[in-house]
Amino acid sequence: MRSSVFHFTGDDCRLPFCARRLFLVAPLVRTLTCILLAAPVLTAGADGPDSPATLDQTYQSDIRPLLEQFCLDCHSTERQEGDFDLQKFTGLEQVQRDPQAWEKVDHMLKSGEMPKEDGPQPSAPQLQTLRAWVQSYLTVAARQSAGDPGRVVLRRLDNAEYKYTLRDLIEIDLDPTREFPSAGSSGEGFTNTGDALAMSPALLKKYLLAGKQIAEHALLLPDGFRFSMRTTRRDWTDEILNRLRAFYEQFVESQDLGSGLVVGYVTGHGDTRLGEAGRLPLEKYFAATLAEREALAGGSRTIADVARQRGLSARYLGALWSSLSGSTPSELPGNLPARWRAAQAQDAAALAAHVARWQRGLWRFNPIGLQGRRGSSSRWLEPVDPLLTEEEFRLTIPELAEGETTTEFIVSLVATDAGDGNRHDDVVWQRPRLVKEGEDDILLRDLRRHSDAAPGDPAWGLNPACFGKHPRCGRIDGASLGARAPAVITIRLPASLAAGRELVTTAALHPRAGKKASVQVDLIAGTPAETRGLQPSEATAKFSQVTQVFSPRSELFFARPILVHENSPVRARLLAAFQNHRRLFPAALCYTQLTPVDELHTTTLLYREDDHLARLMLDDRQRAQLDQLWKELRYVSQADLLRLVALRDMLHSMSPNRDQADSQYDGIEPLLEPLTAGATAFGEHLVATEPAHLEALIDFAERAYRRPLTGLENDELRGLYHRLRGEELSHDDAFRLTLARVFVATPFLFRLEKAPPVPTAAAVSDWELASRLSYFLWSSQPDEPLRRLAASGQLHQPGVLAQQAARMLRDPRVRRLATEFTCQWLAIYDFADNDEKSEEMFPQFADLRADMYEESIQFFADLFANDGSILDLVSADHTFLNESLAKHYGIGGIEGPAWRRVTGVRAQGRGGVLGMASVLAKQSGTARTSPILRGNWVYETLLGEQLPKPPPNVPLLPDTVPAGLTARQLIEQHSSVPQCVKCHRLIDPYGFALEQYDAIGRVRKENLDTRTNLADGNTIEGLPGLQQYLLQQRKDDFLRQFCRKLLGYSLGRAVQLSDRPLLQEIEQQLAAGDYRFSVAVQAIVQSRQFREIRGRQMASN
Amino acid sequence: MTTHLPARRTFLRGLGVSMALPWMESVPVWGNASGQPQDQAPTRLAVLFSGNGFHNGHWWAKGAGPQMELGKVLTPLSNFRDRMVLIRGLYNEEALKGNIHSSQTGNLLSGAPLASGGRIHSGTSFDQLVAQRYGRSTKVPSLVLGCERSVPGIHKNYSLLYSSHISWSSPNCPTPLELYPALAFDRLFNDQAVRGDKSVLDAVLVEGKRFRQDISLPDRRKLDEYLNSVREVEQRIEQAGQAGQLQGWRPTLGEPDIPRPDDGIPQNLSEHMRLMCDILVLAFQTDSTRVGTLKLNNDISYLRFPHLGVDIGHHSLSHSDRGVESPGWLKVNQFFIEQLGYIAGKLDAIQEGERTALDNSILMHCSSMMTGSHDATQLPVVLLGGGGGQLAGGRVLDYLKQPNRKMCSLYLSMLDKFGIHLSKFGDSTERLAEV
Repeated sequence: MRSSVFHFTGDDCRLPFCARRLFLVAPLVRTLTCILLAAPVLTAGADGPDSPATLDQTYQSDIRPLLEQFCLDCHSTERQEGDFDLQKFTGLEQVQRDPQAWEKVDHMLKSGEMPKEDGPQPSAPQLQTLRAWVQSYLTVAARQSAGDPGRVVLRRLDNAEYKYTLRDLIEIDLDPTREFPSAGSSGEGFTNTGDALAMSPALLKKYLLAGKQIAEHALLLPDGFRFSMRTTRRDWTDEILNRLRAFYEQFVESQDLGSGLVVGYVTGHGDTRLGEAGRLPLEKYFAATLAEREALAGGSRTIADVARQRGLSARYLGALWSSLSGSTPSELPGNLPARWRAAQAQDAAALAAHVARWQRGLWRFNPIGLQGRRGSSSRWLEPVDPLLTEEEFRLTIPELAEGETTTEFIVSLVATDAGDGNRHDDVVWQRPRLVKEGEDDILLRDLRRHSDAAPGDPAWGLNPACFGKHPRCGRIDGASLGARAPAVITIRLPASLAAGRELVTTAALHPRAGKKASVQVDLIAGTPAETRGLQPSEATAKFSQVTQVFSPRSELFFARPILVHENSPVRARLLAAFQNHRRLFPAALCYTQLTPVDELHTTTLLYREDDHLARLMLDDRQRAQLDQLWKELRYVSQADLLRLVALRDMLHSMSPNRDQADSQYDGIEPLLEPLTAGATAFGEHLVATEPAHLEALIDFAERAYRRPLTGLENDELRGLYHRLRGEELSHDDAFRLTLARVFVATPFLFRLEKAPPVPTAAAVSDWELASRLSYFLWSSQPDEPLRRLAASGQLHQPGVLAQQAARMLRDPRVRRLATEFTCQWLAIYDFADNDEKSEEMFPQFADLRADMYEESIQFFADLFANDGSILDLVSADHTFLNESLAKHYGIGGIEGPAWRRVTGVRAQGRGGVLGMASVLAKQSGTARTSPILRGNWVYETLLGEQLPKPPPNVPLLPDTVPAGLTARQLIEQHSSVPQCVKCHRLIDPYGFALEQYDAIGRVRKENLDTRTNLADGNTIEGLPGLQQYLLQQRKDDFLRQFCRKLLGYSLGRAVQLSDRPLLQEIEQQLAAGDYRFSVAVQAIVQSRQFREIRGRQMASN
Repeated sequence: MTTHLPARRTFLRGLGVSMALPWMESVPVWGNASGQPQDQAPTRLAVLFSGNGFHNGHWWAKGAGPQMELGKVLTPLSNFRDRMVLIRGLYNEEALKGNIHSSQTGNLLSGAPLASGGRIHSGTSFDQLVAQRYGRSTKVPSLVLGCERSVPGIHKNYSLLYSSHISWSSPNCPTPLELYPALAFDRLFNDQAVRGDKSVLDAVLVEGKRFRQDISLPDRRKLDEYLNSVREVEQRIEQAGQAGQLQGWRPTLGEPDIPRPDDGIPQNLSEHMRLMCDILVLAFQTDSTRVGTLKLNNDISYLRFPHLGVDIGHHSLSHSDRGVESPGWLKVNQFFIEQLGYIAGKLDAIQEGERTALDNSILMHCSSMMTGSHDATQLPVVLLGGGGGQLAGGRVLDYLKQPNRKMCSLYLSMLDKFGIHLSKFGDSTERLAEV
């Protein structure tokens, strides 16, 4: 195994000369510190031990001599070694001018780096005196400047903030920051600090380019704009079309009417498509009425309730229910209410099929691609009534195929009573005959006499005596047949005569049939299955073809039409029943095809027909929504412009055949005027909507600037647009560039805060406070509620502020805080892109790293959103897992890629950050673990300690681990070098306790020695031991570090001396508040540091 | 860059290829703002950096001229011994003051003190000084490239920003690095001013300036970084509209002779580095810039080298060198120096009159420590190229025992070669006479 010493403290270091002695005095010093910090009264009295006079006196009498003795050799005003001059501090007054210098002194004494080992050394009591004074002074100094907002460098949005702000602003997921330079850190180690954000012309260009790219995504609408993932008109149109389809499909089932010669109920030409129809999903509705029949009838359930539960339209369910179940159920053909009453729960499909059969006779579909052409119909779905006084039937009898031996065909002339009794139902089948083009007709009456029929065979045709009379009405035409329904006349035809001919006859009511006549007639091959009652008819529209375009002329045919007299009451009754059926059961509720495909040339680029849907299912809000979508579609697609282009193209591609061209032109000529007018009107509409875009842009800029625009800013934005128009840019281009400009604007990119003209500090404005809050907790802009409170000037009220912070913590956007704050603090930021593991050793790592990262983020986000205890960071019994990470952890029973909260993980060696693969792997080497890295991470990152600088030339580890050694033994060997041991004993033991986890965070199968002695004399074993130690012995250190990091993150600067009182207060509040995360957040947002800004004068010093 | 040269462009398009133009037939685009005679090819500067030092036992050279002996790390440069100056014994005083890694790197090219404790402050690096004074006449003042992303965080009380940035435009502002080959390419060659851009930038500038009065002095400085960038881009747009000068020296290539690289960062590290080297050479060849910095990796680098059979992070690897043989570390060192050799080779193949582009350049490769043990008491430095006749090669200069052995002294000498004569730079007021 290749081995090496890793960075951070991986480099063993010079032993600070006095370290040993320091360790001895350290507990004393800590006790002293606590007393000082916990006792604010000490500063009160003018002559108390911490009074300026006393401090100054002690400085002169005790401290200054010690400095002279041990420090000023190097740190004199003349030598200033390390650029550090202690000589200039002649008294307290001078000390007070530079508290930072004394923080440094404090740190150097604490870490033992100073005085240097090659110089004279103070005794333990001397050192104690020195430290105690420095601590006292710092405590006083901290209290004097407590609440100072500090020097916060102007912050530009860091990459993450840019990304989140953009996402919240444009509500689509674009991320131009991938091409921005990656971030650095400053302050407490976070990227959200002004210092770390460097600017350059190259980056400016990237901002401009990003702005332009974002603007490309602006989708202009009649009353404003929104953002789309797409950037072309074609894609935008598709996007809205998809939205429309999705809207429709909430209510209907889309069905392709098919393609070919017969589509829908239409006969067209070879490749015709009538497109998609939005069908009524009747079976679901019938099923609901049947299943809930008793409950609805008895009133124990409401229509609304059933509809909601089943995802149905309450409006339609109610209409259906009352038509079927009312005390006077609607008259519907085929006796639907009676069928429904008799139906069982499982009969919903049969009822739906029954309705569908009737639909075929009561509706027809029309092609609409050239709607508006001369003679074309005005609707796609049109009602028809199969009620006639007479109807010609033509039954084609097929040619005999080669070798076919059929000798006869059987046909039937069927007349039934239409379900209402046979009174007056007298019908005449006029001159039934076999017809073939170019040959003489053969009357059925003459069949037996025809030379080609086997003569004298009585079975062919009918007895000629049957013709020429009606059983009830006497004589009729000699070649016709008379009958009173119900009557089926079945006829045998010899194949020799009939094959290849058509049987033609016209069925008509007998002229003397009474007013009540209603006969349903049909000419069929074979014999009928059903001869009673009213049967569904079936309508077929037949279009003739003009060079692959539907002719506007069509013929309508009915199978099984019903013959009634004009204006008869029977007809009126049937019409009413049909109309009831159609009102309740349209063959389609809407045209989900939207873009007609039924003609070769199309001028109807978009087609809307959804009145049935609106009438039957939509409430006002839904109708408005639908209207809005259509409005957007027409606007975005610019169909009204394009259809004129399409028409002109069509006129240019007219048939070269003059006659045909004339007839085509004649057909489409009526389109020219309305389409031209439509295009002109649309063009005007486009111009008329331009101001609305500019207004919307102004509104947008207000959100992007995170505050109201000033009048000047408003004018300038408009001015830029007009200037660009003046440079001959189109509205579209000028709008987009003006929009792009917003993304390069100082107030967007920077978190500008006015420095008030006061000597010390003052509260920031409510708008600035809103941004401070939102960037702290969400890494993004203020949302609408925050904006409202800022606008009304209420946000700064402590109660309101607390309420908002609490609300924001519960919001899912708190995940960003989990990512940006916690992951940066714990050094696992961007772990999903971690590329540090040897592919050879850990081929699985690349697939797992994103999951490892996700676990950490989810854990933190959950803790924040649910106000957990921050001690859970150290040790918890739960975590978040999916299957692959659970497997990695050896935890069973977790299946599938979904993330879930899993409890009881402590027993499995997980829970808290120390059990996370992200942390364990990040603090490991490429190919093996590093107890040094992990130990240093615990020491510095979790506990906030700082090791002294390593010596200039660290001895290096052997290239390979000698056989038989573990990583721990290797490090122990290394750290036993005298100059290394003093620091390594501070950190390595933490790492040894974690050695049970390998370099990618798995629990190793073999048991390793994880028992270890800490520098402070405690002995711990393994992760549980370490966690217990941290929570029991080092809880205060951990809390202090947590608060320090959170405060630094929230303020965008390093924590300074004047923050000490606040940090102590937060720590106390946490202890009193079950360590709940919100306690810390609330204390921070209410603090002066968070709410105030240094005045211009103070900030400029 | 071709807006005012329709005839030539048409000609090239007519041939269906973009081709190298013969000497003296090409046309300069930007005015000559350097002090150099206009009929001579300009001197170019490239600084290459790799972190964590080099192999303990194999960074050395002995002798002089083409017969110079080279340590194993430097063998990729053996073709250029006659134009190579190995400099031993230089150090950066400020780098000894802070901690390790970050605080040894962020001031490597400036010698400035580095701010610690969560603040960021260094000094303008000498390459950026050259860019600011000398790079005005080219389309891009300098090309600052990197092959490893910077890592956020603070290490040993110093921002890791220092570990990943050797070029600094100002003391507060590390020059952002371009990691994407395609975007670096676009910076050079896809730079057409778009209609309306100037109006947009103008508006941003007018608005931005107004905020200056409401904010504190330090914030104003931060804001000015931004406004200056806006102004600079705006000025370049203006310049783009002006005709170039038609007399004087002309670059040997008018348009790129390699295709635009694919978007994204190549998976393969060696491909990534190779592309960055190609772009740097192309930038010099087309005179799109005269100053380039290429950061091959960070100090504290996590780059791994599976393509060399060394699947260990660079920083870990640097700690495995213990004076004994460390073949993986050596291979990786050589791989970095090969990049320098590659650039030198390509430049040397470009004839610019009597000299090659290498003769007209100074390439410098350095690191922030001698070896992986953080020893910054002397730094590895190698120079290649003739500096337009200003630098004699085939030499080993050893300053270890000299009183004047500061990196900043070297920079003062180098700045002279770009017509920038300073009495003080960083912590030095002296030059290295031999350079």
